[in-house]
Amino acid sequence: MATMIAEATGQAILTEEHKQSFLRKYIFSTDHKVIAIQFLFLTLFFLMIGGFLAMMMRYQIAWPDQPIPLGGIFPESMVASGYILPEFYNSLVTMHGSIMVFLAIMPMLVGVYANYLIPLQLGAHDMAFPRLNMYSFWIMIPAGILTLSSFFVIGGAAGAGWTLYAPLSARPDLTGVALGQQMWLASVVLIGLSSIFGSLNYITTVINMRAPGMTWFRMPLTVWALFITAILGLLAMPVLSAAGIMLLFDQTIGTSFFLPEGGGQPLLWQHLFWFFGHPEVYILILPAMGFTSEILAVGSRKPIFGYKAMVWAIISIAFLGFIVWGHHMFQSGMNPALGLTFTISTLFIAVPSAIKTFNWMGTMWRGNLKLHTPMLFAIGFVAMFAIGGLSGIFMASTPVDIYIHDTYFIVAHIHYVLFGGSLFALFGAIYFWYPKMFGRMMNETLGKIHFWLTLIFFNLVFFPMHGLGMVGMMRRIYDASGYRHLEGIADTNALITWSAFALYASGFLFAFNFFWSLWRGKKAADNPWDATTLEWQTPSPPKHGNWAEVPVVYHGPHEYSHPGVTDKDWLAQNERPDVPSPAGGH
Amino acid sequence: MAHAAAAARAPERGLDVYTQKVGMWVFLCSEVMFFAGLIGSYVILRFGASDSWGQPGEVLNVPVTAVNTFILICSSVTMVKAFAAAEADDQKGIKLYLFLTFLMGAMFLGIQAYEYTELILHGEWQGSHGFTPQAGLYGATFFTMTGFHGFHVFLGVVCLGWAFKRSLAGEWGPKNTHGLEVLGLYWHFVDLVWIILFTIVYLI
Amino acid sequence: MSEAGSHSAEAGDAGHGHEAPKYMLIWVYLLVLTLAEVGVAFLGIPKWIIVTSLLIMAVWKALLVALYYMHLKWEPKRLRILVVAPLPAVAIMIIVIMMEYV
Repeated sequence: MATMIAEATGQAILTEEHKQSFLRKYIFSTDHKVIAIQFLFLTLFFLMIGGFLAMMMRYQIAWPDQPIPLGGIFPESMVASGYILPEFYNSLVTMHGSIMVFLAIMPMLVGVYANYLIPLQLGAHDMAFPRLNMYSFWIMIPAGILTLSSFFVIGGAAGAGWTLYAPLSARPDLTGVALGQQMWLASVVLIGLSSIFGSLNYITTVINMRAPGMTWFRMPLTVWALFITAILGLLAMPVLSAAGIMLLFDQTIGTSFFLPEGGGQPLLWQHLFWFFGHPEVYILILPAMGFTSEILAVGSRKPIFGYKAMVWAIISIAFLGFIVWGHHMFQSGMNPALGLTFTISTLFIAVPSAIKTFNWMGTMWRGNLKLHTPMLFAIGFVAMFAIGGLSGIFMASTPVDIYIHDTYFIVAHIHYVLFGGSLFALFGAIYFWYPKMFGRMMNETLGKIHFWLTLIFFNLVFFPMHGLGMVGMMRRIYDASGYRHLEGIADTNALITWSAFALYASGFLFAFNFFWSLWRGKKAADNPWDATTLEWQTPSPPKHGNWAEVPVVYHGPHEYSHPGVTDKDWLAQNERPDVPSPAGGH
Repeated sequence: MAHAAAAARAPERGLDVYTQKVGMWVFLCSEVMFFAGLIGSYVILRFGASDSWGQPGEVLNVPVTAVNTFILICSSVTMVKAFAAAEADDQKGIKLYLFLTFLMGAMFLGIQAYEYTELILHGEWQGSHGFTPQAGLYGATFFTMTGFHGFHVFLGVVCLGWAFKRSLAGEWGPKNTHGLEVLGLYWHFVDLVWIILFTIVYLI
Repeated sequence: MSEAGSHSAEAGDAGHGHEAPKYMLIWVYLLVLTLAEVGVAFLGIPKWIIVTSLLIMAVWKALLVALYYMHLKWEPKRLRILVVAPLPAVAIMIIVIMMEYV
């Protein structure tokens, strides 16, 4: 990995006259761009691992009576005589969720793009605390190692689901997993620490290190989204750490915080977990919304429709995120008065979400659409997020939720938001900022093929799951073939599994494009998309320290098709104004 | 001409305080949430559950802890005095006050260790000999909360040792107070958490 | 606490631009409150009075530390907003979860 990063960023740093050792430049680097690229490789690796776990699950669900191909290469504790063991299936479910949330999507949204974009888009030389930034990456490494190695300890990896409901998670005798569960908890505490260090850095940088002229309402929406996300992470992650530590004590030193037989409260775990968990959901979607806004404005050659409304929508989504966590717990037997409160507060989230969706459509409306790959993914994001958001409204209502709770309907919903939402936006972001990061373009044709394959197979995988949930297929079920009410769904499950394989395979097309372009991609211009934000006004890739001299900002972030500019259809944020700044610019 | 203007313009107005201080306060916000998770669980487990709790002074040694509270409050005032001494360029004062703060932090930890040992070996709770983290929710919450506070004190003492070492080389002074102020913020926060913990764990 | 008066938000450092805070006075204040707390805890009065007065004194002490030792009293308003920002989240968390049990 190290050499790859060295290759990729070498050009940027060789031009510098820094007398730094190789280790300081590429491994223990404090340069936010190098750290972002380190995060990118790490998270892509975990994305591949998490996807692989899902493929094994899909095989088991579709063909529970057939041995898995190449099952022999797995240890007996996972796959016995070709069949995935139920305990291992539990681990697959748990670890797929955990890895995707904590080690793939969250660090990719925040670790990669908050790191890369915040200083560049704000005109700062680096983060406020570069050394802390380096630690926040290196804390992720032991966390990843703990997660991966937990598969190979006695009892296997954690098997109580990624939400870790007590007492199932607190009593090793119930799942048969002891050490693996503890390693999971330790790894989450580490990830929490890393995320707090990161958030601290992002918040401080945004508050105190904006270039001259970069007022709050001239910040690109990406930075707004990442800033609010960092606040969510800062306030939510410590609660998970506290709860996780208490759960760890329940397992190791015999306390009973969450064990009813010792006087503890299992429901307290659910409350603490979701007090973290719901802000976490917005940590996973807000940055994606930011990337999408950016890409849509660039691809439509129009200013974002309703910039300030977008900002306030982000802020109100984040605020609401702290008062809706109970909608994950309608089935827990909690106070019914609370249930109603949470239903209402959850329905309110539809308002800012709809504002954002309509503003994205307003941005594209009568725009001069450039359908390059990032733009395709951004449009895909809007469509998929709308589907995921609409099915979310179903679940906000207690009576409906009680019917579909813990079914595949929920699985469909989460994946429409997390894959169709976050990951689509992330693919868009990778294609979009790749030239800035590595100085080369990714291949457009391959990118477009990748987009269409992803879009088609994604919907083939997850749309039918709504129906499976409605007929009562339970989520996390190991073998659905034994239930009378599920007799008719075997073909659907086989279709989903075949599509899932194709979806995973299309990921490798992306990976090929990614690595091939590192060396063979077309050399990128400094501003290949004709974008206005500050990062595009630097060389591709930017040099160590980002700016020879700090830019001065004169305009808002999305000045496309500006009537006062005739030679081109965009006006960079730091371009000296020969024309009066339009009304939206302040 | 544009460049000359660029060089002259200051960065955008942030919080009107220097970056390290913003960073420390942001970090303390996350610490507030961490202790809120622990203290909130304590409140809920104590007042929402049927498990029994000891009366003040029944199990925990309030006089010893009151002395410990006194020590921690004193260390807070010496910390702030060290900062004031740095502003006034009183090198002797910086060294003296940092050393006192370091010493009192270490004393706090020593007394806490003594308290833990006594409780575990000789504590009496619900007829069982020894008050341990396994002694019901009372023991579990007590050791978790005070333990994590003690861990924070430990980190603070390590940093104070580092600051004291630097003071011997005369590195703090009117031109270099930021480090002391930021460390002081952390140390006072730890004191503040203890004020809350002492009240709700030992006295209520 | 008479020096409250005219402290405008000075950019940069607390400790400049205002008279030196009376650190020792606050120290005495904190000690008196601590002694009062220990005293109240062992009084033979109804429990709810003890609990309420203890909580008031604890918050009072915490405020003294935050305002004077942590210099919040002299910090710009923007920083003070940042500092109180997590408190609503704390309140929501504890109050809502407590609703399960009452």
